[in-house]
Amino acid sequence: MAKEMFLAGCSAAAYGAALARVEVISSFPIRPYTGIMMELSKLVANGELDAEFVHGEGEHAQVAIAYGAAAAGARAYTGSSGVGVTYAMECYSPASGGRLPCQMAIADRALDPPGDFGSEHTDVMSCRDQGWIMGWAETPQEILDNTIIYYRIGEDPRVLLPQFSCQDGYFVSHIPGKVVMPEQSQVDEFLPPYKHPHALDPTKPISHGPQIYPDQGPAINLQRAQAFLDTPAVIEEVIDDYNRIFGRDYSPFLEEYRTDDADFVFFIQGGHARTARYAVNHLREKGVKAGMVKLRFVRPFPTEAVAETLSKFKAVGCVENSTSYGGAMKGGNLIHEVRSALYDVDNPPAVTSFMAGLGGEVVSLDEFYSMAKVLAEAAKTGKVDQYVYWVNFDHGV
Amino acid sequence: MSKKKYCEKFSVPEHLQVPLGACIPAPVKEQRAMITGNWRTERPVIDHEKCNLCLNCFIFCPDSSWHLDEEEERMVWNADFCKGCLLCVAECDVDCLSVENELNFKGGVVRLDKPY
Amino acid sequence: MAKAVETQNLERVKSIRRVPQEEYYVPGHRTCQGCGPALCYKLVSKATGPNSIYLGPTGCMYVANTSYLCSPFAYPWMHTQITNAGAVASGVEAAYQVLIRKGKYKGKLPNIVVMGGDGGSIDIGLQAMSGMMYRGHDALFIMYDNESYANTGVQTSPMTPYGANTTFTPPGKAIPEGKVLFPKDGPQMVIGGHPAVKYVATASLAYPVDLINKVRKGLNVVGPTFIHIHCPCPKGWLFDANKTIEVAKLAIETGMWVNYEWEEGEYTYQHTPKEYTPVKEYMKTQERFSHLTDEHIAKMQAFIDAKLKAPGKPVPLPVTSPRESV
Repeated sequence: MAKEMFLAGCSAAAYGAALARVEVISSFPIRPYTGIMMELSKLVANGELDAEFVHGEGEHAQVAIAYGAAAAGARAYTGSSGVGVTYAMECYSPASGGRLPCQMAIADRALDPPGDFGSEHTDVMSCRDQGWIMGWAETPQEILDNTIIYYRIGEDPRVLLPQFSCQDGYFVSHIPGKVVMPEQSQVDEFLPPYKHPHALDPTKPISHGPQIYPDQGPAINLQRAQAFLDTPAVIEEVIDDYNRIFGRDYSPFLEEYRTDDADFVFFIQGGHARTARYAVNHLREKGVKAGMVKLRFVRPFPTEAVAETLSKFKAVGCVENSTSYGGAMKGGNLIHEVRSALYDVDNPPAVTSFMAGLGGEVVSLDEFYSMAKVLAEAAKTGKVDQYVYWVNFDHGV
Repeated sequence: MSKKKYCEKFSVPEHLQVPLGACIPAPVKEQRAMITGNWRTERPVIDHEKCNLCLNCFIFCPDSSWHLDEEEERMVWNADFCKGCLLCVAECDVDCLSVENELNFKGGVVRLDKPY
Repeated sequence: MAKAVETQNLERVKSIRRVPQEEYYVPGHRTCQGCGPALCYKLVSKATGPNSIYLGPTGCMYVANTSYLCSPFAYPWMHTQITNAGAVASGVEAAYQVLIRKGKYKGKLPNIVVMGGDGGSIDIGLQAMSGMMYRGHDALFIMYDNESYANTGVQTSPMTPYGANTTFTPPGKAIPEGKVLFPKDGPQMVIGGHPAVKYVATASLAYPVDLINKVRKGLNVVGPTFIHIHCPCPKGWLFDANKTIEVAKLAIETGMWVNYEWEEGEYTYQHTPKEYTPVKEYMKTQERFSHLTDEHIAKMQAFIDAKLKAPGKPVPLPVTSPRESV
């Protein structure tokens, strides 16, 4: 019988990694993800997890250690937050281009300047182009499940890509929630041992990553692009399997909440989706036809699913927890992806975005109600006045 | 709503193909994709009579272009790869190596099948 | 004094005749004629043999060796960033420890060798090198030292000697000597502060059998080991391609390079000349020093003299720390 526990996201991620039988862990402390490593170090020290716990000398080293271990044939796990994520940036492309499926656990954090421990998605969203699988969990349960699921996706021979398994700093990483713990036997059934097609092995010598001349570049890049085209099918298979074995009810790419007859939806990822659900409930009580669509994977971005789903509504509000200064819409990142996905749709919804939760501030119910007001108007008129609202300043708009 | 393909599968022309993750099999005895014999303008020529098998040429060649044929007890020179740096000539214990212009030899200057 | 614990027992080579003929760094690489680092790679590869995994950070020994989409490495080899060779090697070593422990890899722990240039070892790669030394991974870190960032066109590195002309330290009216700074000392940085390291050595292309034996000793010893190898670079130092070994020998004769071993606190020296030749004789052989005046050369001589009092000449005094006399 599966055990129920009350765990914060950090612990849940750590237990997910332990259940996934990770073999090499590289650590370095930075708030707020550090708890993941603290938990894992206890499991290793007590002999409950047979893994090498390597104290990296920094985040850049952590990722290097992880992809070195993956290249040698071990399941590798690392993690970071905020500026640690951006410090390691150099190592992301070698890992994904080298097709080394290590996993990096992220408890996100606002970037400097100045020091701010609060949650923000910008750290990892800045790395979307590096060729890693990437997605946010809403709850401790989801981060535990994602940790296991992402290994299965990333290690699939059709994929072979590293993964960022992300959760909101503090809101998910530090606030406990109910977690149904999988049995080790279930995880073993779901996740086969890691085997890489071209590991570093003296019995089968290879040269990994020789210099190429520019003409050869596109072919290598195409491999990664092709992998991302093949990944969604793998995700669907994997989620199906996970639901079957563990009794969950995940949809692969998008979760729809009370969208059946919704006029507008909040398009959101991560921990603040919790609040969004309550906001939707309260709005519905007042007769407002609100709904929520939660994004589960940023990469690969589920373009077709997004186009198909969001085209059902009259207005869409992207809840942006990351910044894209000077970008096309001069606000956040999700709106770029959503508008691109909707470009070819006949009668697309009105799309706007709300900068919310930046710096780690709480996205309150009031802020959701402000967003709802804007979206309700947009649903009525079919147009938006603004593409970007900063909700903490735009109350009463 | 029309479902549009946003990317197409390409086929890469053979001469531009690269293996998965830029991972190539290791060479065994030589790397024939980088023939360097055509770099040299001069070559070392050995007088086997004078040679005392000190093996300085073997040990000091950065391109491993001298090796000892243990059965014949003779030094063997690799024309395909020797770059003509002449370190062997400088380090020879008994000065049994002399320097000759590459063009003096039939088949001198290794030609490639196609340029890189 | 206690000898470092051994993990394996690679045989000591007694003469050039006994050096194995098999090549694991095979002919067919785009390195310069007379390339010192290439010769170093060849000798190290003979020392380690094929049960090895090499990590090659960006540098001449990456770009020149693997251009294009080919390589001369007959053992498994992986490119790393110039910044992280020590870290990637650590990951590989940790992976093998756990794979062997779990019975997933049936063989013995392979030799794990980093071949880093001076930049990739003690400048941009310093952090990762130090991390690997600190954590006690059973691996060997080799710094092949051609005294510059050579691959990008010979720019200065912390191993470039005082007074050297590089494309970032050209001599000019305002800065007549070109390079003003004196170089770091890689082995001393490792010896001074990494308790897990039981063996550190320096070696030179001038003495290839000694080099091979030191590499084998480094591999035999348990834990991380560090070897600093002097690799004259004809293109970077501006001397004829056939003079690589001559320059290496002259470096030792003038004290510009010292061959030594440090094993758990004890220093032993090799190839110490009976009398040191003035450094001027060494600097004369390379055009990178041709702009220097007698004043500059005197400064270099003074620096070398002071350094030689340290882990240089075997002095009869009970010297406990090499830094004491500087």
